[in-house]
Amino acid sequence: MTPTHFAFSSAFMLGLAGLAFHRTHFLSALLCLEGLMLSLFIALSLWTLQFNTMNSASLPMILLAFSACEAGAGLALLVATTRTHSNSRLQSLNLLQC
Amino acid sequence: MTPLIYSTLIISLGIGTTLTFASTHWYLAWMGIEINTLAIIPLMTQSHSPRATEATTKYFFAQATASATLLFAATSNAFFTGSWDILQTNNPLTYTLMTLAMAMKIGLAPLHSWMPEVMQGLTLLTGLILSTWQKLAPFCLIYQIQPHSPNLFMALGLLSIVAGGWGGFNQVQLRKILAYSSIAHLGWMVLILSFSPPLTLVAFSTYLMMTFSLFYSFMMTKTTHINSLSTSWAKIPTLTALTPLILLSLGGLPPLTGFLPKWMILQELTKQDLALVAVLAALFSLFSLYFYLRLSYAMTLTMPPNNPAGTLPWRLNPSHNTLPP
Repeated sequence: MTPTHFAFSSAFMLGLAGLAFHRTHFLSALLCLEGLMLSLFIALSLWTLQFNTMNSASLPMILLAFSACEAGAGLALLVATTRTHSNSRLQSLNLLQC
Repeated sequence: MTPLIYSTLIISLGIGTTLTFASTHWYLAWMGIEINTLAIIPLMTQSHSPRATEATTKYFFAQATASATLLFAATSNAFFTGSWDILQTNNPLTYTLMTLAMAMKIGLAPLHSWMPEVMQGLTLLTGLILSTWQKLAPFCLIYQIQPHSPNLFMALGLLSIVAGGWGGFNQVQLRKILAYSSIAHLGWMVLILSFSPPLTLVAFSTYLMMTFSLFYSFMMTKTTHINSLSTSWAKIPTLTALTPLILLSLGGLPPLTGFLPKWMILQELTKQDLALVAVLAALFSLFSLYFYLRLSYAMTLTMPPNNPAGTLPWRLNPSHNTLPP
């Protein structure tokens, strides 16, 4: 595994651990999601820089577009959760238990 | 929701799945899956109730994590093998990670815990889209990853059959029962994937037809709880008489269609010298059969006592379509 690969893999794993073990706030989970997308952006940019051609140069930009859409959707859900549950803590999302 | 926005979302759902089906590049497949996720989020929050918002939030987190992990696995595969081709994923770490990401997307155990709660918070139509259409794109990718060892798929499959059967045992909410039934059926499909992919497709197509008809019969009687299911004899008697056929078909009883994929899967497993796996799968699907049987018992085989409150619902809904009694 090249150092580049190791770098973005560890960044991704840290973000994934943060997303899996978030405890209190909705927003911290969204931030970890953005961290995941950022590590993938860096990975795709480094992939492009390894070649001299511009074949896959658009990949990071398209990732950025999708990640922005997803972040927007996540924030809209944050607002919706705050409207319906009066806070955005994850412990208050307990209406649907078995 | 205005018709323009509604049709845009539905068309985006179609575009997302078609994009994933048509792609040979992992990036394009990921884009199709992201479009699917983004398109169904507004459809889920249509009713603006707290339950719908909570269900959408949980769905969003599960799907976003799985999509990001899928793209990470694809990028890692590119760094390892130099290829973005879907049919050329050779690195064991990579295809395991991809399989786990897709398993989280479709709700296979042990990554299934979001599924019952999400299904519970949705309307029946959105739950139908979630159980049928949203499974197509990730399943297409699972199908295309060449499995080099059957262990992971068998583990996922058996765990899903167990989780789907056992989890649905104590449920009275119909949407949760349908979620657990979906988990169990997907377990059957994934169990046989590394041995005989056509059987996976047989199981998937029969599951789609059966789940679609069951959701639709619940939509016509507007029931979401076993209590309201028991008064559906007063609303649409013909449908009440026919729904047990769908339920028992989902449970896998011969001579109904739902028996066919289970029979062929068990046969293929015994041919591969995996009789213990076959026995475990068959025994744990008895749990699912129990709750399907309970649903058909409550719906058709009993008639609730004739209290005025029980017969009231059929008077209040003259406007929905009814079959001729």
